[in-house]
Amino acid sequence: MSIVIKNLHIEYPDLLLFDDVSFSVSDDEIVAIKTQVLDGGTSLLKGIAGFLQGVSGQSWIDNTDLLASTASEEHFKIGYVYENHGLLSIYNVQQNICLPLQFHTDMPSTEIAQEAISICDLLHIDHSLLASYPHHLNDVQTRMINLARALIVKPRVLLIDELEGGMSDEVLQDTMRRLKERQRDFPMAVIITTASEIVMGLADRVLKISDRNLIEDLV
Amino acid sequence: MGSDSVSTLPSDTKREPDPQQPPPNSWRIIEFFGRKPREVAIFLLDVIGLISIALAASKHLVNRKRRRIFLNLFIRQLYNTGVRALFINGMIAIFIGALLMSRLFNYIPQQVISTQYSYLFVVIVFRELGPLISGIILISRSATAVTSEIGFLRMTREFQVLHGLGINPVFMFLLPVFFAFPISLFLMFIYFDFVCLLSAYVFIWFSDPSIGFTAFLGGILEQITLNEVAINAVKALLGGVMIGIISIHFGAKATNSFDDVSDAISNSTTTQLMSFFLINVVLSILAYTQ
Repeated sequence: MSIVIKNLHIEYPDLLLFDDVSFSVSDDEIVAIKTQVLDGGTSLLKGIAGFLQGVSGQSWIDNTDLLASTASEEHFKIGYVYENHGLLSIYNVQQNICLPLQFHTDMPSTEIAQEAISICDLLHIDHSLLASYPHHLNDVQTRMINLARALIVKPRVLLIDELEGGMSDEVLQDTMRRLKERQRDFPMAVIITTASEIVMGLADRVLKISDRNLIEDLV
Repeated sequence: MGSDSVSTLPSDTKREPDPQQPPPNSWRIIEFFGRKPREVAIFLLDVIGLISIALAASKHLVNRKRRRIFLNLFIRQLYNTGVRALFINGMIAIFIGALLMSRLFNYIPQQVISTQYSYLFVVIVFRELGPLISGIILISRSATAVTSEIGFLRMTREFQVLHGLGINPVFMFLLPVFFAFPISLFLMFIYFDFVCLLSAYVFIWFSDPSIGFTAFLGGILEQITLNEVAINAVKALLGGVMIGIISIHFGAKATNSFDDVSDAISNSTTTQLMSFFLINVVLSILAYTQ
């Protein structure tokens, strides 16, 4: 298994969101989590990634519990795609995509730039955007750049927060198909929160949030 | 009790004041004198904490790739604080030189003009005005920009993004400011002094063309000792570090609204001005009081 979640408990000072959530995702699987407005989907993803305070439980990737580890190298194994923003405003698109590899690896800059180009080709990101800054981008472009930055590190786990916002059905289907191709070449567990029937239809498994936990959506 | 008035206030606020209790204002004054020292102590501990965090984050600089990332941000910071301040710094130096230092020349007896004027130039401009005005320019231009930038990054959760990428925001934002501000400030001191000197000479030369520039400059340079250069370097180091750290401290307090950012800028500027003036005054008293 690529990621194993055990007894995940997410609680804010005035709200209990999730209690005793346990599930696992293998590295050839896309799991969609069916979400609605304000039901905690984003918090669930951030809790799994170890981004939140007030989270207990275990989130195992390989032999490392993300929730117990503070090492930056462990967070490097996770790709996270934010629903909104998620890019660094001081850098242009290319610099945003290349930053994780520049910081965490000894790869030459030319090789990193080549990786960025190939990821952009995979996701149909126009090369003319590479010199743009985040404030020049629309929502869909921002999310696609987020996805490119997440994929360039060849993560063990990819967490995507509502990819579909503002996308046409054709673009969304194409993006999901390319994501599956990428997963075949570089195995990774994918967990995606979504309200889109297209994404749920293309996922290997669908879970839904119910009573502060996750259950299989058999519909 | 027994009031007929309709009120939605909680019942405890309807109590009649107890004549045995001190008036509320007294408690507020006492609370103020208790709270303020505590806030100052917390602030000083935060500043010390940020300095130690910055020094700890410097360990990343041994890595070549991370050093390159840092250098890009450091050069950007140097450019914004130093290079882009050249115009305003130069203009104020020209005004000071033209209006103050050239006029001063006319009030000194001719017999002692070269030594006295040079001495006064060093005492007024090199020791005090140069550092103070350069510091004020740094605070009003660059420090406010850094405070608002950090506040904006907090509001848009970009620090969270960096954490998610496994990159410490201290490395990306605090460290470049920590190193760039003192260096920029020291260079601004030198630039201000030189432009002021040139400006003063030009206006003096108009009234007395017999004054040679070499002699004028040489007289002033003779008065500048290593002690004065060292004190200015310490002022730049302490002042630059304090100004940068205070910018980061208040910017990081912003949360979800632009009101927080404007509050941060206001509080940051006030604190920086007080701190920088205090550093200058204390160092000048310690160094130059005989």
